[in-house]
Amino acid sequence: MEHHHHPEASAGQPARQPAKERKRIGDRGDFFLNRIQGEAGVNISACYQCERCTNACPVSHYMDIKPHQVMRYIQLGWREELLKSATIWVCLSCEMCTTYCPNEVDVAETINHLRNIAAQSSVAPEYESLAVFHQTFLDVLRTSGRVNEIRLMSAYYSKLNILKEKMKDGSLKDEILVGMSLLRKGRLKLLTPRSRAIKELQKAHHRISGEMD
Amino acid sequence: MKLSFYPGCSLEGMANDYARSISAVFTELEIDLVEIADWTCCGATAAHSLSQSMSVLLPARNLAAAEKMGRDIVSPCAMCFNRLRFSQQMIQKKLFDIPWSVTGDIQVHDMTRFFAEPRMIASIKERVVKPLVGLKVVCYYGCQMVRPPKITGYTDYENPQTLDRIATAVGAEVIDWSYKSTCCGASIGIARRQIGESLAGRILEKAGQAGAQAIVVSCPLCQSNLDILQKDRPEKRIPVFYFTELLRLGFNKITDPQWFKMHFTDPVPLLRAKHFL
Repeated sequence: MEHHHHPEASAGQPARQPAKERKRIGDRGDFFLNRIQGEAGVNISACYQCERCTNACPVSHYMDIKPHQVMRYIQLGWREELLKSATIWVCLSCEMCTTYCPNEVDVAETINHLRNIAAQSSVAPEYESLAVFHQTFLDVLRTSGRVNEIRLMSAYYSKLNILKEKMKDGSLKDEILVGMSLLRKGRLKLLTPRSRAIKELQKAHHRISGEMD
Repeated sequence: MKLSFYPGCSLEGMANDYARSISAVFTELEIDLVEIADWTCCGATAAHSLSQSMSVLLPARNLAAAEKMGRDIVSPCAMCFNRLRFSQQMIQKKLFDIPWSVTGDIQVHDMTRFFAEPRMIASIKERVVKPLVGLKVVCYYGCQMVRPPKITGYTDYENPQTLDRIATAVGAEVIDWSYKSTCCGASIGIARRQIGESLAGRILEKAGQAGAQAIVVSCPLCQSNLDILQKDRPEKRIPVFYFTELLRLGFNKITDPQWFKMHFTDPVPLLRAKHFL
């Protein structure tokens, strides 16, 4: 972005702040809105900002962009802000917003779809650990068709960033203790059956990704 | 009656006690339950968060296998149930193409609704030999079993009744409360512990305020969260039962306190005080 230099500033006068760049409605057209509406099958244009979704959300407190604002951002085409937000990873998919929207806007599905887009984009997630957890879950699932909790948790904790974070906030020791109790109580199983259908699934996934066999 | 059973991953690990109590209850009620061959994970939150195609494909493979068996599916896990129904609707509405032959015509039951049908309630009542009289419980449904109603088919999603009916049938005193379907935090606690603890903590707090001596659940993840995240409340600990455990107590099939060894919040003192053990 180009900064304009004010002549007064060099003459000992206090520098005038350049007007904050404002994004106007329609700056980016309605491509993003139309895309999300088509892909997610949600009528986002119907949102009239009543904030029922945000009031129903159990974790809106932890969100940087509140659910009703997410709808507005999409209407305005503010893609990058949404994809890098904490909101899309904090969302629990508890479906309160969707259930209580008076205009039947599927807010949870919209946020879910933004997660899908973010996962495929180059934008680094704000809440990395939550994105990493989902990714680890799918990695374990892809190798055995089912998810064994010990494999999931050990794969998750062996990620360097996660381990560092857990050590920094002091939760590591506590969580190891819980893990040991789970083992002792027989709630964690080292070996659980694999699904023989995994090959079939991998093949199906390849086909959906456009690879014919 | 013949049904196919889709256990889901939790029932092989964290909730293996739930799995054992389910198969025992179905045997006791003389219902033929056959596990879906080579079932795969439903994908849970991870699949629908990262890849829509995985979130439809994974349950679709299980639907296809159940259709081949010609049996309706019963699902004990709220998340699996929700994902199966979601995938089924995507297939029915022709919104997604999958490489298996599936019509989506078989029924997917969540296990609580199956047991709460009048016929099953009557069958349960016939077998209760040790009614849990005086046991004050609240029933906790969580999210995925009831919401969104267009997927789950629940019409009383604000005040669901299936677990309430089952717990009443086994003789427990069911207390009405406002947190039946407030989110427990699901897996968020793994990555963001303080969020998970605050959500589960509020539900435990409200259950205590309602006067409940125990919480009844059907979802493995809800059970884990509510049962495990109680160590900071030593004076106010409240056991969290799977509803199938209550059924088996009522049928007088659990007499050994060792059964409850997988619980973090030990229910044995409460059950002893009530003379149920």
